[in-house]
Amino acid sequence: MNVRPTFPAPAPPVRALRQSMAWIHAWLGLLAGWILFAMFLTGTASYFRPEITQWMQPELRSASVPAEQAAQAAINHMQATTPDDQQWFIYLPDDRTAVTRVFARAKPNPEKPPARRPELKLDPATGQSLEARDTRGGEHFYRFHFQLQLPHPWGRWLAGVCAMFMLAAIISGVITHKRIFVDFFTLRWRKGQRSWLDAHNASAVLALPFHAMITYTGLITLVAMYMPWPVKANFDKPDAFTTAAYGAPAEAKATGTPAPLLPVGPMIEAAGRTWSGDAPRTVVIRNPGDAASTVTLLRATGGRLNARPDSITFSGATGQELSRSPSPGPAIATAGVMLGLHLGHFAGPSLRWVYFFLGLTGAAMVGTGLVLWVVKRRKPNAAPFFGLKLVERLNIGAIACLPSGMAAYLLANRLIPAGLPGRAELEVKAMFWTWFGLAAVSLLRPAKRAWIETLCLATLAFAALPVVNAVTTDRGLIASLRTGDWLFAGFDLAMLAIAALCGLAAFKASRKPQPPKRKASVRAPATASPRPAPVKESVDAL
Amino acid sequence: MNNDRSAKPAAAWPGVARMTARAFTALFGGYAAAAALASLLARLLPIAPAEASAWGMILSFLAFAGLGLWAFHERRLAIVAAAVWGSALVAGAAVVLLGARA
Repeated sequence: MNVRPTFPAPAPPVRALRQSMAWIHAWLGLLAGWILFAMFLTGTASYFRPEITQWMQPELRSASVPAEQAAQAAINHMQATTPDDQQWFIYLPDDRTAVTRVFARAKPNPEKPPARRPELKLDPATGQSLEARDTRGGEHFYRFHFQLQLPHPWGRWLAGVCAMFMLAAIISGVITHKRIFVDFFTLRWRKGQRSWLDAHNASAVLALPFHAMITYTGLITLVAMYMPWPVKANFDKPDAFTTAAYGAPAEAKATGTPAPLLPVGPMIEAAGRTWSGDAPRTVVIRNPGDAASTVTLLRATGGRLNARPDSITFSGATGQELSRSPSPGPAIATAGVMLGLHLGHFAGPSLRWVYFFLGLTGAAMVGTGLVLWVVKRRKPNAAPFFGLKLVERLNIGAIACLPSGMAAYLLANRLIPAGLPGRAELEVKAMFWTWFGLAAVSLLRPAKRAWIETLCLATLAFAALPVVNAVTTDRGLIASLRTGDWLFAGFDLAMLAIAALCGLAAFKASRKPQPPKRKASVRAPATASPRPAPVKESVDAL
Repeated sequence: MNNDRSAKPAAAWPGVARMTARAFTALFGGYAAAAALASLLARLLPIAPAEASAWGMILSFLAFAGLGLWAFHERRLAIVAAAVWGSALVAGAAVVLLGARA
């Protein structure tokens, strides 16, 4: 009964600490590992959220336009279509997004509540409404990685519990592995359980600062929901905290006196002078066309670590500055930088790829840890106990089947007709039906075959993406290479690289595990090192 | 149940119940204690209330992780329960008695 929670035996203090931490590390990882793997993988994909969205709407092509022009073009569109609204939200394009997004909120009308208006996509240069296939784009992976496709607020709470388990697992894992820098250089292939332990240690230690950072800052992104109590201890109303921390944009009730909205260009220029040249990311206009109208500009945060945007509010009728956000204190700035470190918006293309690869090592750390749990407990020549079989099957479902689901989401984007109603939901369904369906079907196969076959399917699915893209759009790999469309070319090449990675995993899974050859170990013989073999010790500790 | 004979005779509760109580204390008690201690810190720090609240929120997860892990390290369940639930109650009561600053 290896699954029974047995507490470690009494031992001297330091050894006892490492033993208890190893024990809790295994349980934390086991209970949260499958969800954490999915959070890591989809979260890692989200570093390319705008790029995935662009790839999933191949009808749209990005055009670089100054913020002033895009903002004014959007305002002109809103004035022509919905001039009497209470509020306009304008999300300006940047070098990673192709379109301006606008959203209008109608005046509240108690007799006839207005229908909720959809978000519109506008051409940044002309303000013309753009039509493209309906899709969640990269937003789906991003939302899933902290909401887990569960009803609000349960998904966020479950993700928070898993992140908390991850944080505790990192701390206990570090305590367990005292020889952390030796582990860094220790990776012995084809040694069965030892290789899995080495791989787990190497992927964890290699990127340990990143894993600790991304876990802690992930908790901080939703701290207002997870830990509101320190705010309640000081403030009777949560709004008072928000105002004290971030300031409140000047707001006034509509007067009813009409007054034309001034051009937004000079306001953006004035804000740029305060923001050392940064452009706004979002423009919010209240009561347009009224004498009390306001224009609030939120600063683009791509150029700095703190992801909390500064804001400046102008009068829409006179152009005078009405209010601006206070410069944050040390704690608020720390929280803003933590948010920025998690989101990675500040990272340029090369640093973004570093984020991406470090995120993959996170998924690898969780995945190898889960596999290690099974490998360590499997006894040769003995029937596996129920818990072992359960964990192995869940490992296959979570680790080997999720990539196919993600590929299915992208494939569905190209294969579902562009005009089909409800197609965005169908794309999402394609991911989950593929993921869970494949996991269910894999139960029919022996575990080893299930690993190989599901990973082979993932290889095929990712390799098919560039092909399907080339057949269904005019932006295939050859065309995009020829025209210098690096986003589309990079996406197709990345899919081929991921296919190769899945193929390598399938190949590794198909190899016979080598029994550890203790005598022929490459490690230096005992005379060379006075210390006991480190790996043996770690194996015992686990 | 089946390993009662090998277990210490002093254990009043069977192992599974003790482990459940320990895990419950680590997860929910640890959260309550971290929340109460972070709130007390936020209430007592002699700096601007918003800043103090933010430090409390930022540090709360570290406190939660530390308390949760310690709950599985300390072998005596009574000590764990007393420390975790006790600090949650004492710090929580202090925060309620002090009342909000703003």
